[in-house]
Amino acid sequence: MTVVAERPAEQADPSPSTTRAGSGRRAKAPRNVSRWLLPLWATLVFVFLFLPIAVVIVYSFNVGRLLISWDHFGFDSFAAIVTKPAVRDAVLVSLRTGLIAAVLATALGTLAGIAMARTPGKWVPWFLGLLLLISVTPEIVDAVALLPWVVFLGQDLGLSIFNDGTVRLVIGQSLFSIAIVSYIVRARLVGLDAKLEEASADLYAKPFTTFAKVTLPLAMPAVLAGFLLSFTLGLDNTIVSAFVQVSGTTPWPVYVLSALRSGLRPEIAAVSTIMLVLTLGALALVALVLKKAGDSAADIARTMAGG
Amino acid sequence: MRKLRIRFGLALPAWVWLLVFFVVPIGVVVWYSFGYKPSIFSTNANDKLSFDRYVEALSPTFFATFQNTLWVGIAGTALCLIIGAPVAYWIAVKCAPSRRGMFLALVMVPFWTNFLVRTIGWQIILAPEGWLSHALQFLGVIPGPLGILNTRGAVLLGVVYNYLPLMILPLFVAFDRVSGPLREASKDLGAGSWQTFFRVTIPLAQPGIIAGVLLVYIPLMGDYITATVLGGAKGNMVGQIVASQFQTAQNWALGSAMAVLLILTIALSIGVMAAIGWLVTIPIRRSYRLTLEDAR
Amino acid sequence: MAHGGAHGQPPVRVLANATSARKIGAELTRRGFLATALAASGAVLFTACAPQKASAASQANGGPLEDKLSIYTWSDYDDPDLLSAFTKKKGPKIVVDAFNSNEELVAKLVAARGTSGYDIVVPTGPFILPMAENGLLERLNLDLIPNFQTMNPHFIHRTFDPKNEYSICKAWGTTGFAYDKTVIKRELTGWADFIDAAQNEASGKTSLLDDPAPMCGIYFWSHGIDWNTTDEKHLADCEAFMTKEIAPHVISFDSAPGGQIIPQATAALVQVYNGDARTGIAASKNPERWQWVLGAPATEIWMDNWSIAKGAPHPEAAHAFINFIIAPDVQVKQMDYIGYDTGVEGNQQRAEEAGLENLDMVFFTEEQIATMHEGKFTKAQERIVAIWNATKAAAGA
Repeated sequence: MTVVAERPAEQADPSPSTTRAGSGRRAKAPRNVSRWLLPLWATLVFVFLFLPIAVVIVYSFNVGRLLISWDHFGFDSFAAIVTKPAVRDAVLVSLRTGLIAAVLATALGTLAGIAMARTPGKWVPWFLGLLLLISVTPEIVDAVALLPWVVFLGQDLGLSIFNDGTVRLVIGQSLFSIAIVSYIVRARLVGLDAKLEEASADLYAKPFTTFAKVTLPLAMPAVLAGFLLSFTLGLDNTIVSAFVQVSGTTPWPVYVLSALRSGLRPEIAAVSTIMLVLTLGALALVALVLKKAGDSAADIARTMAGG
Repeated sequence: MRKLRIRFGLALPAWVWLLVFFVVPIGVVVWYSFGYKPSIFSTNANDKLSFDRYVEALSPTFFATFQNTLWVGIAGTALCLIIGAPVAYWIAVKCAPSRRGMFLALVMVPFWTNFLVRTIGWQIILAPEGWLSHALQFLGVIPGPLGILNTRGAVLLGVVYNYLPLMILPLFVAFDRVSGPLREASKDLGAGSWQTFFRVTIPLAQPGIIAGVLLVYIPLMGDYITATVLGGAKGNMVGQIVASQFQTAQNWALGSAMAVLLILTIALSIGVMAAIGWLVTIPIRRSYRLTLEDAR
Repeated sequence: MAHGGAHGQPPVRVLANATSARKIGAELTRRGFLATALAASGAVLFTACAPQKASAASQANGGPLEDKLSIYTWSDYDDPDLLSAFTKKKGPKIVVDAFNSNEELVAKLVAARGTSGYDIVVPTGPFILPMAENGLLERLNLDLIPNFQTMNPHFIHRTFDPKNEYSICKAWGTTGFAYDKTVIKRELTGWADFIDAAQNEASGKTSLLDDPAPMCGIYFWSHGIDWNTTDEKHLADCEAFMTKEIAPHVISFDSAPGGQIIPQATAALVQVYNGDARTGIAASKNPERWQWVLGAPATEIWMDNWSIAKGAPHPEAAHAFINFIIAPDVQVKQMDYIGYDTGVEGNQQRAEEAGLENLDMVFFTEEQIATMHEGKFTKAQERIVAIWNATKAAAGA
């Protein structure tokens, strides 16, 4: 590891002792400040991040007509997920379409990511450009573009499969997820040498065997991270879903969005609390699995942020 | 040669899917933007092509909304950077390695709550009749009920809150890459803590900083929900007027023109910021050049 | 039919009609089975993608009720207990979605072209004929709605749907405003006072309806102009007035401020429908600080109606629900929840006997009704929507 620092000619090489003493005296003050300032700042930011979450959790124990007016404490709102079919259905639709979209996005994205990493060719910049375009397009533009298109496919071309609510939601949720998974998988594989796969080919393994037994396992942490991200993004997908959804197959965020107009009730907070707890549980599980596989926290974050 | 074809074929399903469900619909939107609205009950027609919708979208009525969105976008991203950088630095550099995972997870936890729900959480907190308002009035900090809700300030607060984790994560990865020994070497050569930070850490973390800024700025410009929940009338952003053209005014041609303009605005502003950033670093680069041959 | 397995295999039972059965039987060897299965699955795939007549739902005939019902209506416009009661009594599970204005309803239906999934929609009177003409509404089968006979004769056979082919009255109401007496210390009596207060005490604390026509109505009613005007000069004046004199003082656009704005006192001067004001003020922590004012010297009278969307997937359930909700025995509960007269004969008497509160905000005197004017769907419709867009944009500047 080499560091080359070119300094202007005027500054001659200072003697180590004077420099260290000189800069030490000057540096001690900032270092002391940063010792307590940085953790304080971080704490304040964490409080800031968790404040609305805490508020939502607290208000999920509100029993009343309106979410935002505290009436009295109680567990009734939690019962809504069982007693109110609209709420229950919305959550189930979200989970179902999120899962399907995540599986689809992971499958397509993994294949594309592997292809990009291992087969550099003229097409790669184009594909990367397409992924970039997807990442750069605001969700609202996606939404207003997709609705007329699926209606056209369903009504004018008569492909009635596009009139199905689940199909529409899966399509809407999969776009951004495919981009994310492709990018993460590619980043992971680009960082790893192709030597293992070459070795496998040298040992007379068929291309498919190499793919299944060498490439895929190597990419697995990225695939899992991608799947998780896709599922979360799918669960959270609001705008595109709001535009393309068919009434009757309403996902949870769209239910909340329309409740924003019809009147927010405490059960919205209650269901959010339940979903948060479930999500955290699932994440803890995945983190455990990844840790056992040997990845450190920084590795995981690095993988998810694209190497 | 056969290996090459198989491998490219792997990407084919993704290609086709994205082409059919992304490229073509966006292309259709661009096509619509050159059309017009023929009558009340029909959404659009394209037999007469013109740039009229673009002129309409840039009329003084809507231009103010574009300006407002740009303001919120830049201010929000800057705030995310200023607030998030110390946190990312602290986790990457100052934190014990064993605790890093936990803190990273803590940063991401709000992300795992539904976007809309956590924005509604802020709506509860900022309510004029809520506990925060009463507390601040009691402490004498504000003269009357809390008036932040339904203003541009509330939208700024909301977007900074919602996109902060997206800034912290890439910054963490970037700072993490500038490993300890490098910083020690810098100090050994006589640089103070701040000098090390500004002349070693930041330049090396540049790709991560850029990634964070882009990851926040782009979705923020197209944001629709934060503005709807917290913004009221004043928090009008382009995402909302595009939506309203499609959802209420039924003017697909105008809505498409606005959507295209939004994309162009984002691309253009990124280009301008990149140019400014490049210009600003010329004097720095001329006197100091730091290269890293092996950063990993 | 069962086909004796070839080559000593156990017989295969196939359920099919007679002609196909014979054909299937002939081809049921192992190889033939594979080929037939492939062809069959191909056919299924093809049918899934084959052109179908848009929206399979046709007229309801009194058949069995479906298991679901989807309603697209105004905010918080039905008592949830009544909805559950319907599900308990008749079966179909109900899903409710909300819109802010008729324009939004029309936009949604036009964009979806029959695939929206909504069964019942609730348009306001003037929109019904244009919607029907543009193929957005199904004809009602009044035979399935016997409770239609119990409607108040004043509220059926209106000019916008003389034979009630497409709509039945859901509720009628009017538009006015509510103001916070702790912020606005003087008495306000009409739209002129509304405008004045918006520009002074309530500047930055005013809320308007998120609905193009009544919003523009503020200008027309306060200036003595017919709010259905198509005169270009009047419309231009309206736009100038709304964007320059009113918009800068507005903090939010909300068609249902009784849900949050009034209880939370986020605004001090709120344009609102009468029933919504009643609900909002009642839900407030101290209702005495709010005062409701009927729009004066002129305002609107609107009637929202039950209608069935074209392509409704559950027409039987839709008809059954409409019949249920206009039945006389549920009217008091519904009126108490939504705060509007639901148009069934004898409602006022029922409400008075049940001791519902604030009935002066639900039922009006003859003099008051004389000041209320029905809206019309004119060729100025697009212009009004444009003014609404411009006002919102100006408010955000």
